[in-house]
Amino acid sequence: MAEPAYIVTSDSETTGEEKPSTFSEIAIGIDIGTSQCSVAMWSGSRVELLKNTGNQKIMKSYVTFKGNTPSGGVCSQLSHEDEMLSGATIFNMKRLIGRVDTDPVVHASKNLPFLVQTLDIGVRPFIAALVNNMWRSTTPEEVLAIFLVELRAMIEAQLKRRIRNVVLTVPVSFSRFQLTRIERACAMAGLHVLRLMPEPTAVALLYAQQQQQNAHENMGSGCEKIALIFNMGAGYCDVAVTATAGGVSQIKALAGSTIGGEDLLQNMMRHLLPESGNLFQNHRVKEIKRMGLLRVATQDAIHQLSSQTSVQVDVDLGDGLKIWKTVDREEFEEVNRKVFEKCESLIIQCLKDAKVEVEDVNDVIVVGGCSYIPRVKNLVANTCKGKELYKGMNPLEAPVCGAALEGAVASGINDPLGNLDLLTIQATPLAIGIRADGNKFVPVIPKDTAMPARKELVFTTIHDNQTEALIIVYEGEGEKAEENHLLGYFKIMGIPAAPKGMPEINVCMDIDAANVLRVLAGVVMPGSRKPAIPVMEVRMPSVDDGHGWCAEALNRSYGASLDLVTLQNKA
Amino acid sequence: MDVLSLSSSSSLSMCKPFQSHGLPLSKQQRVSNVKFGAVSCRVTTQENLYKVLSVSPGNATMDEIKRAYRSMALQYHPDVCHDPSMKEESTRMFVELNAAYKTLSNPRLREQYDTELGQRSKVMSVGVDHERWRGSKLQEEMIEVKTRSRRRMAQKRGISGTRMRSQNMKDRH
Repeated sequence: MAEPAYIVTSDSETTGEEKPSTFSEIAIGIDIGTSQCSVAMWSGSRVELLKNTGNQKIMKSYVTFKGNTPSGGVCSQLSHEDEMLSGATIFNMKRLIGRVDTDPVVHASKNLPFLVQTLDIGVRPFIAALVNNMWRSTTPEEVLAIFLVELRAMIEAQLKRRIRNVVLTVPVSFSRFQLTRIERACAMAGLHVLRLMPEPTAVALLYAQQQQQNAHENMGSGCEKIALIFNMGAGYCDVAVTATAGGVSQIKALAGSTIGGEDLLQNMMRHLLPESGNLFQNHRVKEIKRMGLLRVATQDAIHQLSSQTSVQVDVDLGDGLKIWKTVDREEFEEVNRKVFEKCESLIIQCLKDAKVEVEDVNDVIVVGGCSYIPRVKNLVANTCKGKELYKGMNPLEAPVCGAALEGAVASGINDPLGNLDLLTIQATPLAIGIRADGNKFVPVIPKDTAMPARKELVFTTIHDNQTEALIIVYEGEGEKAEENHLLGYFKIMGIPAAPKGMPEINVCMDIDAANVLRVLAGVVMPGSRKPAIPVMEVRMPSVDDGHGWCAEALNRSYGASLDLVTLQNKA
Repeated sequence: MDVLSLSSSSSLSMCKPFQSHGLPLSKQQRVSNVKFGAVSCRVTTQENLYKVLSVSPGNATMDEIKRAYRSMALQYHPDVCHDPSMKEESTRMFVELNAAYKTLSNPRLREQYDTELGQRSKVMSVGVDHERWRGSKLQEEMIEVKTRSRRRMAQKRGISGTRMRSQNMKDRH
């Protein structure tokens, strides 16, 4: 019987508990980056990266729409540059997935050489590829799924068997809603997500394995080592602080932001052609071509600036528009000063959250495509008080190797030599809580809590005889509720009539090992030990597309009538 | 495994920690489960945090606590537990392990807990349902502003006393 191409695991489109498999299939590690992608798996004795038919270990993440059969960067032999100029190629889907059209990241994507249209009303953006002079609409999930189907075919051809379970790496700053979109894309491609691993935690696991091997070789005691991991790719920048010993990587803190090589590129494009934003507004065929040309030229210049101190940019954009300019490294660094400052602040924040002093860091690891940029290496080393950077890892392959290790561990594979006696104790990258105390975000599970986690907080009513309460669940770090990602909401009904402040409303949040979040709410009246109404259990995220509207709509309809406050003496 | 053999206080067979901690089968756990279904979803049982980590209450060093945590995590984290029927149990166990580690790996929280542990055994000896100790962030912050002086300690006992009383009053309702 053929396996269904679409595997829907639940109504909410998220993956549930792992189903017990009849045989121990090793989950494949996949690192889909904003611009590049790689695949690796545990081969029985070590992690091996899989190559495509073009003998590449690192493949470009894009999909080209042509006629009826879109093709991705896995096996496409055409040069990326040519395709990019035509408008038929969609890339950067990792930056667009799960975002609404009011998101600044989506707005910044409007000068990519394909169509990203925003109506600025909080719905998903309109994304389309130019095929035979027609805009063919698509979604980031679809593009990712097409790419994954191609990737899956490549892996299955090499392994000569079907694959199903995968471990994917994701940016630290992804919201849980964005994670469901990644899971959705995998389901569309017939893949089951065993784990979604924040990228630096995958690197941390590889580091844990390396440390364990060193400890074996040196007969060392395997004492605790603290590592700071800085990962900057095209789309995202992530930082993790991990404490490692005996093969266990304990994530102490995570920090992440949507800044990356794409920002460096766009800032440079604006620097080379200040009116570029206006020039490309209408997305005519000629404009798309110009956009592509400028992009390629700028990208080349940035790459060259990693090895040389100045570069000559010489590009003819057509119709007499030419750019002929010498750019030196200082100029590039100045144009992107804010991006680099943000990187520094992420490192400082992560160390602070981990309660680790720079002096106590044993190793500083820099990975990701941007790790080749001298300024990036310098800023990490300087922020870590000039510590020498760790040399034992390939900056482009480390995350996927970590994902492959996690895949083997989570699939229950044993290694007789003990190379898989590993474990990652993950931490929540963002706080999860509810709107209460006015318009505040009150975390129930704080940021950097070890997972699986279960925490609760007690709230109470703000009006006399308030019989209903709205539980609006957010995820993030913002103080005000609306500064965070909305995950879902539900109403508690039938609270017994009582003076305000009397009913105890227990809100409990539970994250299991598969990172599934459940929110439970119950009502207890003082003096009673039994709940006044049945406990409600809601799996989150429960929001769908257009969720940007929901919080506003709730506020408009209910105001503060169903609000809650934290019960101080119970907190 | 040398770490685990330190658990002189509990004199338990360390090769079967599930049983030795009595977690899946203990009455306390059952009570907690009932409570969860009924009112609350707290998972932390009244287990002694030192027993959870299998370390000696009096003299376990920070290093020993860390090593005990790691070696138990390697055995009981849901990621390394491949029996689907045990998944939920191992998740619960790990959450508990985390709570114990969070408290005992923080010198201030540990000192606070040790004090409460002393009080708790006193309270228990007079047969009063003791307050559940939780290493919540708020509690941590609370502790951070506390000094270690005797006067403050006395004050804290006063607070605990009030809490205990309100608990009693609740029970009488």
